[in-house]
Amino acid sequence: MEEGHCPRCGSSLHLRKADSLQRTLALLITASILYIPANVFPIMITDQLGNSVPSTIMGGVVLLIKLGSVPVAAVIFIASVIVPLGKFLVMYYLVWAANNPSLTGQRQRTQLYRVTEFIGKWSMIDVFVVAILVALVHLGGIVEIRPGIAALSFAGVVITTMIAAENFDPRLMWDHLDNENE
Amino acid sequence: MSETKAQISSGRKLTPIWILPMVALAMGLWALFYSLSNEGPEVQVRFSTAAGLTAGKTKVKFRDVEVGTVTEVRLSTDQEAVVAVLKLDKETEDLMREDTRFWVVTARVSGTNISGLDTLLSGAYIEFAPGETGKKTDEFVGLDAPPQTPAGAPGLRVTLLSNSTHSVSAGDPVLYRGYTVGRVEKREFRLEERKIEYQIFIDEPFHELVDSSVRFWDASGVSFNASADGFELNTASLEAILVGGVSFGRPTGFDNGVAVNNGETFRLYSSREDAETDPYRHGKFYVVNFAQSLRGLTPGAPVEYRGIKMGYVVKIMVEELMSTSEPGAGLAIPVLIRIEPGRLRNGDNPEMVQMLDDSLHAGVANGMRASLNTGNLLTGSLYVEIDYYPDEPPASIGNYIGYPTIPSVAGGFSRIGNQVTTLLESINDMPLDETVTGVNETLAEFTATLASLRELLEHDQTQTLTLELQALLKELRELVQGVSPESAVYQSLDASLRELNRTLGNLTNLTETLSAKPNSVVMPVDIPADPIPEARP
Repeated sequence: MEEGHCPRCGSSLHLRKADSLQRTLALLITASILYIPANVFPIMITDQLGNSVPSTIMGGVVLLIKLGSVPVAAVIFIASVIVPLGKFLVMYYLVWAANNPSLTGQRQRTQLYRVTEFIGKWSMIDVFVVAILVALVHLGGIVEIRPGIAALSFAGVVITTMIAAENFDPRLMWDHLDNENE
Repeated sequence: MSETKAQISSGRKLTPIWILPMVALAMGLWALFYSLSNEGPEVQVRFSTAAGLTAGKTKVKFRDVEVGTVTEVRLSTDQEAVVAVLKLDKETEDLMREDTRFWVVTARVSGTNISGLDTLLSGAYIEFAPGETGKKTDEFVGLDAPPQTPAGAPGLRVTLLSNSTHSVSAGDPVLYRGYTVGRVEKREFRLEERKIEYQIFIDEPFHELVDSSVRFWDASGVSFNASADGFELNTASLEAILVGGVSFGRPTGFDNGVAVNNGETFRLYSSREDAETDPYRHGKFYVVNFAQSLRGLTPGAPVEYRGIKMGYVVKIMVEELMSTSEPGAGLAIPVLIRIEPGRLRNGDNPEMVQMLDDSLHAGVANGMRASLNTGNLLTGSLYVEIDYYPDEPPASIGNYIGYPTIPSVAGGFSRIGNQVTTLLESINDMPLDETVTGVNETLAEFTATLASLRELLEHDQTQTLTLELQALLKELRELVQGVSPESAVYQSLDASLRELNRTLGNLTNLTETLSAKPNSVVMPVDIPADPIPEARP
């Protein structure tokens, strides 16, 4: 793989995204670390007549199931737990796959990457819900909703995984295949 | 201008993006460390009911600051209470001591105050009063009602005991001359003693008013007295009239007592008059067995020592008599009396009780006895009199179901009756017949003597003797008139006697001089100077 240089300033010219795998991996690790407080700490604090009730993501899901709103619980569970987790796994797999090419699986891997990149944005649904509730429910001292630490962490998770997906260069998977073929 | 080639560095290098996970990791670790180092204590509080407590929602507050939450509410292992597990902030760690009190704050409405209305909307919360002494612990028993005094308030806490329920309940004021100086904290029934216990709290500056000589009484309600002096209406403050209260003060004639400690026990009297009549705290019970009728002896009757009241009759122990001895004829009936040294103005304290007890022991050995006397002839009411009877044989203080006993003698009417009987018996024993015969003989002789005397007087010689006696007396009077002060014989005799007196006086002087200085007959006499009295310092 040859790298070109700018004839004028000497900057490296990249055929592929620069340091793609390192960046993706670094961002993925950041997201994984942020994922812990996002689930442990309350995402939303409801102040009801001076009585503040914190709720975590999983706590909210359990509460919704108890209340019978299984579909809503499912949406929140998928968007907030399954999607980010799945994204982590897929991205880690792709980073690994970029260095371990396989002849047969390349097509599937590329599709996996496209799905991940598309669906990752939708994880923000939780953050949006909290943001909307905070903005809407603001009835003076009676009921008030404040975002918790987890909201920030969760937004961090979503954003870093999105950037990680952006930084990943799927062409790298094919490059290795070319090298081997050569 | 020469063409310069850009410097090319090659080789794998780390991109700066790795700072991001490092920062995230550092933040995560810091948060973990922070939360671990700020881990507050977790305590368990037993409550009788879990009303208003919700795990994860109910707050723990101290001075209205949220310092923790209830993390778990479960039944205790013995299923008789609920255990609330409280997760508290780190700063409360020092406050969790053995005497820390927890209670649930809910809306409460009582006669004197309405509290916790905010909890109607926000739900109940747990509040606590931090302990000051005692070692740290993490298991507590929660109070059923909030304590009346704010957490850590300075003052004095005393216990009042009463035999009957008064209209005093937790939250009522404690008054001193009508001014509220404290609160009744709680009211409890002490099962073993069958007494009602009130815990009261006197606020800071006023706790100095309470010493060992003050007495507490139920100040609630209105007292109305009608007497020959007119009508008398006594009321406490309006608050006390409506909801009740406890008042205290020093009974008349009581001096300053000693300061009392927290937890000191006092008796709660039912009225001020009660407190005035029987204001003594220390005393000792004694039993006197009376083998005579107790009709007219009532509980409360005085026990007097030579007329000075030193105690009162507590009860006539008929039940005890029946249960401790076989019923039979002639059983003495035990009477429980209480003797209080405070009545004798020599100190209402345990030392004086001991001293009085000692002197009773000594007294009984020297003939001190208890007796029943009639206090009022009209009503026949009796009192117990303690006095010395020197004729009684020495005795000692006995024991009757745990009480010391004072021996008794018959007294009052019973004693008079006994004496009359004794008198009649000795009269009965007199040799009356012989005496009467003797008297008769004497009378006969006396009559004979009188008859012979009359004979003698009627004799003729006796008559002439009288006439001669009269003539003799006449002559004697004439003789005496001859030596009257006016007569010459008397005059000369008087002069001779004066002369003789003077001579005798001179002779006395000579004799004195001679006895003081025998050689004065030959040596000159030196006359001593007149004595001058010395000045005293």
